[in-house]
Amino acid sequence: MELPELAARWMNALTSTAYIPLSRAEIRQALLDSLVELPESPESVANRLVSLHATGPDSLRVTIEVLSPTFELPLLARLSSAYAQAMRMDAFDQQEQIKVAIVRAKQRVERTLKVSQARFQEVFESSALGIAITDFDDRCVEANDTLAEIVGLESGEDLGARPLIDFFHPEDAAALGVSYRRVREGRVDRFRDQRKLIRADGEPVWVHLAVSLLRDADGAPTHFVTMVEDISELHLLQRNLDHQLLHDSLTGLSNRQHFVTQLERQLDGRPITLYHLGLDAFSVVNNGLGHETGDKLLKIVANRLRAVADEKHAVLARIGGDEFALLTTSDNVTTTVEEIQEALTEPTFVDDHGIALSASIGVVDRPPAFATAAELMRCANAALRQAKARGKRQWALHDPHDDARRRGKYALAASMPGAWEHGEIKILYAPVHGLETNEVLGAVARLHWDDLSHNDCMELADSTGLSLPIGRWLLREACAQAAAWVAEFGDRAPTLHVGLGALQSRDEDLVADVKRALDETGLPREKLRIALDISSVLAGDDNAVVLHDSGVVTALDGFRGGHDELAALTEVPVRAVITRAPAPNPDSPLRQAMHDLIATVHSLGVRFGVDEVHTATDADHWRAAGADGVIGLLPALTAAEVTDLLARAASPPPAAS
Amino acid sequence: MSERMSWVPEGVDTGKPSAARLYDYLLGGGHNFAADRELAEKFLRAQPNARTIARLNRAFLRRAVLFMMDRGIRQFLDLGSGIPTVGNVHEIARKADPEARVVYVDFEEVAVAHSQLILEEDPRAAVVQEDMTAPDAVLKAARDSGLIDFSQPVGVLTVGVFHFVPPEADPEAVVAAYRDAVPAASYLAFSQFTQDLQPAEMAGVVEVMKKSQNPMFPRTKGEIEGLFGGFELIEPGIVPLPLWRPEDTNTDDPDKAGIYAAVGRKV
Repeated sequence: MELPELAARWMNALTSTAYIPLSRAEIRQALLDSLVELPESPESVANRLVSLHATGPDSLRVTIEVLSPTFELPLLARLSSAYAQAMRMDAFDQQEQIKVAIVRAKQRVERTLKVSQARFQEVFESSALGIAITDFDDRCVEANDTLAEIVGLESGEDLGARPLIDFFHPEDAAALGVSYRRVREGRVDRFRDQRKLIRADGEPVWVHLAVSLLRDADGAPTHFVTMVEDISELHLLQRNLDHQLLHDSLTGLSNRQHFVTQLERQLDGRPITLYHLGLDAFSVVNNGLGHETGDKLLKIVANRLRAVADEKHAVLARIGGDEFALLTTSDNVTTTVEEIQEALTEPTFVDDHGIALSASIGVVDRPPAFATAAELMRCANAALRQAKARGKRQWALHDPHDDARRRGKYALAASMPGAWEHGEIKILYAPVHGLETNEVLGAVARLHWDDLSHNDCMELADSTGLSLPIGRWLLREACAQAAAWVAEFGDRAPTLHVGLGALQSRDEDLVADVKRALDETGLPREKLRIALDISSVLAGDDNAVVLHDSGVVTALDGFRGGHDELAALTEVPVRAVITRAPAPNPDSPLRQAMHDLIATVHSLGVRFGVDEVHTATDADHWRAAGADGVIGLLPALTAAEVTDLLARAASPPPAAS
Repeated sequence: MSERMSWVPEGVDTGKPSAARLYDYLLGGGHNFAADRELAEKFLRAQPNARTIARLNRAFLRRAVLFMMDRGIRQFLDLGSGIPTVGNVHEIARKADPEARVVYVDFEEVAVAHSQLILEEDPRAAVVQEDMTAPDAVLKAARDSGLIDFSQPVGVLTVGVFHFVPPEADPEAVVAAYRDAVPAASYLAFSQFTQDLQPAEMAGVVEVMKKSQNPMFPRTKGEIEGLFGGFELIEPGIVPLPLWRPEDTNTDDPDKAGIYAAVGRKV
């Protein structure tokens, strides 16, 4: 067989036993070369075969099969022997190579492990979180310095082998034990919690805990990882914020909200006493010496009150600009009030200003257990207003009955401006009867709002600051109406009587208002009678005098026959006094006294009128006692009704039956 | 901390057989251990033709690389390259052009260490240790190697390795990620076990490998076709190993080749 043909056959046999990474042409050429070389050096051929990777399990067998008809057995034996040796060497080389690769791989893994461990150590040591790795016996296998710092130890090693539970607050230990167990049992992946640790020095420290599991390569849990974040600063900040929400920033005392909360807490039937303090004349300090001085003063007051409160284990709060509240239990009210005043009376020097301090105090003592905190605060406030009304350095005990009345009145007063605006307050005209002639002498302009009398209306108006505008409105409207009657009925027009409230009677603009009303309406001044509240005259106000000097006839309303009132009549030129009193019936022991009083008034040149006389009998009694006129015998009428009457009757309305 | 730290790799355990070393053994190599050979013997019992299949697969790799070289490809990404045994891609390619560049990718410690040993002095070839089913990481490493220019056509090779990719790794998405990373006129060489040929033997192999570190997932021709989205298949399409552009008259039995081979061109 020609060598090329043999080479081709050899190649076909060999390539089905092993992968030779060459083209067939290359393989054929390599094998042809080998055939040429074989008789001389079968060892070289063997090496070439192995280097070609003709090293399959059957490669040698097929080689011998292909070559044996052509080559001698001894030559093939040498080839086989050399092939086996080359295979051995090749295997050794490959084994060596793979060993090196293994070593390298291991080294790299170890290096990676080292790097990862170094990374872990870095994270572990530099973390701002405390980290503890504990075994399932709760021993600290490893803990970082941050954790040591949190629990007040020198270094992480100090935690070594100590049970982590040592550092938990005893109250938390049981609950945390359950949480750890749940993590270990795989019921939760991790848990987070906010708990107190106990530092080595016994101080508690607030922490966030995050606990999870470490597992081995097979995924079996081996350790807990507990991360601990010190939130005590956060906690303090939070508490600080809470403090700010509940405390007055100027004095550091509790604020109103905080006080009410504490009051609510003590409303469990304990014998509590609530004091509501208002500094007297504090606005004078603020306005006169400035707010800075005012603030300093408030701080001083707060400190002094704090001393009183501390001694009594009382709750103290600043509940308004210049208002404080004190809550005590089992207290003697008069003693406490004295102590408060004493504490405040001590001279106070602020910015070189000597300031005398006192407070008005409203007291709610031992309220019923069902009272709410809001009610108590309101009652104390009401009592304070009462005390203030009495002057400085006063105190008042809350009276539940009085309070109910007051509340009704306040509610009414509050709705008064709206009522006026909506035209619900009307002017009615009540006839004034002359007792001597039994004739109608004039008409009194009266406020009328629902079923409230004129006097009730005026009193309400006084309490709301509405009395001046309402009074001016009344004066002007009534004058206009009276002027209209004069224009229409001439002499038959009734004389207008206008009764003023206490405030308006003292109003410095009153005289001008009256003049303007007369000027603008054209009402002749002799057709007008102004009844001033007698309190204005007693207070020394000169409106009555000036009005008289202006030619306006005046009367004094609210006369009670007091000595000071009689004395005033000697000085102030008025036409009449008006009183409200029970009729002096013949059986009354006071009948003679009233008779004498009226005589005395008459002796001063002053006429005597009586308001709220509603029956002819009463009018008769008054006539018998010497009174000149009465109001109230007939119901008050609207202006239109009066006009109608005037138009229909040439004579004045008949006396009431 | 509850998870195992991801940067800690698996340890090297030569007591566990590896598919890369099994393949080496079937190819007649000596880069293997007793455990690998033990598994290989079981493999051979299930598929007596395994040595031939390994040889045919290796030969397909050679033909595919040479085909791509012929079409102008000068850079290769060899996914799941395994133990550098006979006829490595850079050796094949450089016979045609010494400038050809190759990045080998494998996840197995020893295969990677071995490849590094061989490639240590080679400026145009490198190995990166990544999981081929994580294309983003592989592509980043390939870019970082400086050997692959992704603006130029790339020969992507996944030869005799895709049967280790489980369905849950979303094989289509994996191939698509590589396809999207390379420019048009790039090529994909692909071969993997199929149950279309010798289904009984294939089932036996799957059973043998089930308990190893490298369970196998044979695919039908249709499934393999599905992986070639965005590629046009080069003639003769998806065929048993020896039928893919044989060098001359094929003498091997295609029905016993166990593995389908195909090359696609990105359109």
